[in-house]
Amino acid sequence: MSFIPAIWMSAIVYASEIAILSIGFTLTYLTAKIPNFAHGTYAGIGIYVGFTLTKLYHISPYVGFPVSFVLGGLASILIYLLVINVLARLGGGGIVLTIATLAIQIFMTAAIYIYAYYLNRAFSTYAMGFMLKEEDFKLGGYQGIFPVSFAICIVTVIILHFLLKKTKMGVAMRATSEDLELSSVLGINTNRIQIFSWFLTGGLACLAGAMIPMWFMSNPSTGAAMITSIMAGSLLGGLENIYGAIIGGFGVGLSEILVTAGLQQTVGAWVGEWRPLVPMLILVAVLLLEPRGLNGVYERIKASRQKSVK
Amino acid sequence: MLDLIGSLVAQDTTTRLIIDVALYFGLFVIVAMALNFQYGNAGVPNFGCAVQVIVGGFTVSAITTRLTFALVQQGGMVLKPYSSDFDWVYNNFYNVDVIANSYIRDKPFLGISLLLFSFAVALVLGAVMGWLISVPAIRLRATYLMITLITMADASQIVGRNIVGISGGTLGMFVPNVFEWYPGDRGVITAVITLAIGLISFFIFRTMLNSPYGRLMRAIRENEITVGSVGKNVTGIRRNILMFASGITALSGVLLSFYFSYVIEANFQRAFWTYWPWLMLMVGGPGNNAGTFLGCALVTLMRRVIIQYKWVLDVYIFFPIAYLEDILLGTLLIVFLIFRPSGLIPEKLLYIPGVNYGKMVREEVKVDWRSAPKAGEGKGKGRFSLRRKKKEGET
Repeated sequence: MSFIPAIWMSAIVYASEIAILSIGFTLTYLTAKIPNFAHGTYAGIGIYVGFTLTKLYHISPYVGFPVSFVLGGLASILIYLLVINVLARLGGGGIVLTIATLAIQIFMTAAIYIYAYYLNRAFSTYAMGFMLKEEDFKLGGYQGIFPVSFAICIVTVIILHFLLKKTKMGVAMRATSEDLELSSVLGINTNRIQIFSWFLTGGLACLAGAMIPMWFMSNPSTGAAMITSIMAGSLLGGLENIYGAIIGGFGVGLSEILVTAGLQQTVGAWVGEWRPLVPMLILVAVLLLEPRGLNGVYERIKASRQKSVK
Repeated sequence: MLDLIGSLVAQDTTTRLIIDVALYFGLFVIVAMALNFQYGNAGVPNFGCAVQVIVGGFTVSAITTRLTFALVQQGGMVLKPYSSDFDWVYNNFYNVDVIANSYIRDKPFLGISLLLFSFAVALVLGAVMGWLISVPAIRLRATYLMITLITMADASQIVGRNIVGISGGTLGMFVPNVFEWYPGDRGVITAVITLAIGLISFFIFRTMLNSPYGRLMRAIRENEITVGSVGKNVTGIRRNILMFASGITALSGVLLSFYFSYVIEANFQRAFWTYWPWLMLMVGGPGNNAGTFLGCALVTLMRRVIIQYKWVLDVYIFFPIAYLEDILLGTLLIVFLIFRPSGLIPEKLLYIPGVNYGKMVREEVKVDWRSAPKAGEGKGKGRFSLRRKKKEGET
């Protein structure tokens, strides 16, 4: 039998997903300077790509991961080209773009619901609440998704680090996020960079979404409901730092499940209902104590150390 | 006269629809007008309208109902116990519908004072809630404010769902009918009062916008750094605006609760009470009260027509009609943002009594920063520029 308690396994799976989603949220914030409220809903696309492939075509859900990565990326590019880019070129400010992402979120959630109803009707399956846990393989008593999700999270971080620090594309992306006009003067094709980063964020979100039904109960609004945790993770990391988002997302995901479970054991079972308040409290605490998140704390420590050296 | 209309109206389902449209129009006028006050004029992007509305609903269920019970017991009538959570929900129907309503029936003065009491408490509690939701992020960038407010809406629903003493948890609860003394249909009088309050709030906001404070608000929207540099407390003004608008918005929650005579947290969903007012604001034109009025009328009518002709569509579609509404909402919002960013009625220069503002400002002043620059305007028309172009004279 397994040595790791089940609650820790589910916490790590959830935290990996939240971390990947937070990275995407932060990337969008860096490149487009807007909080993308539709980011959680991308995960909904991933959930239903996994469902369609597994339940209707009887393919292993792991095959669905790359498929959902590509599909989510394409959806994200479509959103960028049809809405965000048009609005940005028309001179809409940050608030207008944010309202647009809210509209996209409403639209996409409704579209996913309609797709689920279509599946219900056309294939006479129940698509409104499901799990793909039984499709998973077993690895020495563990569910396969437990090591896989953690590995995907680590690999994503390593690839992103390599991409951003070592390749020309990554350097161009960082330059674009710093100053769009200056980087376009320097000869960077900022449009291509934007499209690439939107593809990356959408794809990552969908990849995380495809992992959700492997462990958790999923329905069409699961992805949209995760947006609070994603934003809390991103804010905890500092909202402008990808490495912060990894730590922040992981921290929020872990604490959301472990704190709730711990309190359920000590205080009473009723605490479980209050679980969505955990990321919200983290969010409020971060804003009150240090609005720049872990990134701000890190910079402050660095500055004080430099002062003490002098 | 009113009761004659009421008795005629109650029999007819088509006029029932008219009452419904009028009531929702009135409610959304209050919410959207307050939103226009916050976003259109002061630039505070409030995505937490649902929180402000829910305060009104909870005021009625948690405070007015308890007060009514206390008054009824003082009046000599015997109520079933209601102090524990279980009794609060289980005996709720008997206590409210059988005892309290029959007590109010021959006391119009009591009914009206309960209504006014609810309004007063909702105004105060709404303002307190506005202060509370402004605490984490009002001094930060607009992004942070949007993020916190949007999560607060869900949090308020969770609170209502889990604390049974507030609104009966997941089961909801009945509230005393303060219009029980009215012989006709309750819907008519609620709709009339709602429309009256909507109209009053329209004039209140209009007066406030033309006051020096209103001009200060617009100045903050245009350039907060300048306003801060001349010695105005930008954060404090923003907080005041949020508190004031919260109080007004809470009134719509009170009216909704009295219309249904029933409060449940599921009635105050974020999607309904935040996104629809935003759509109305965007359709009508932010920064313009008349535009908001028009937007409310159009969108409410559209929604009600969809609901009315649901049975026609139901043959062709296989999913609940609510998702069609959501898709329409999203599409309309994006279409208006792209093609009519300043809405159906664009914002006009302020009318300030005694000052010929138009003559003072010689050159054309773009008051509305949301309006898109025309094609080919300006030299530096960067194809993919994300930044909004700087106006002439702006540094």
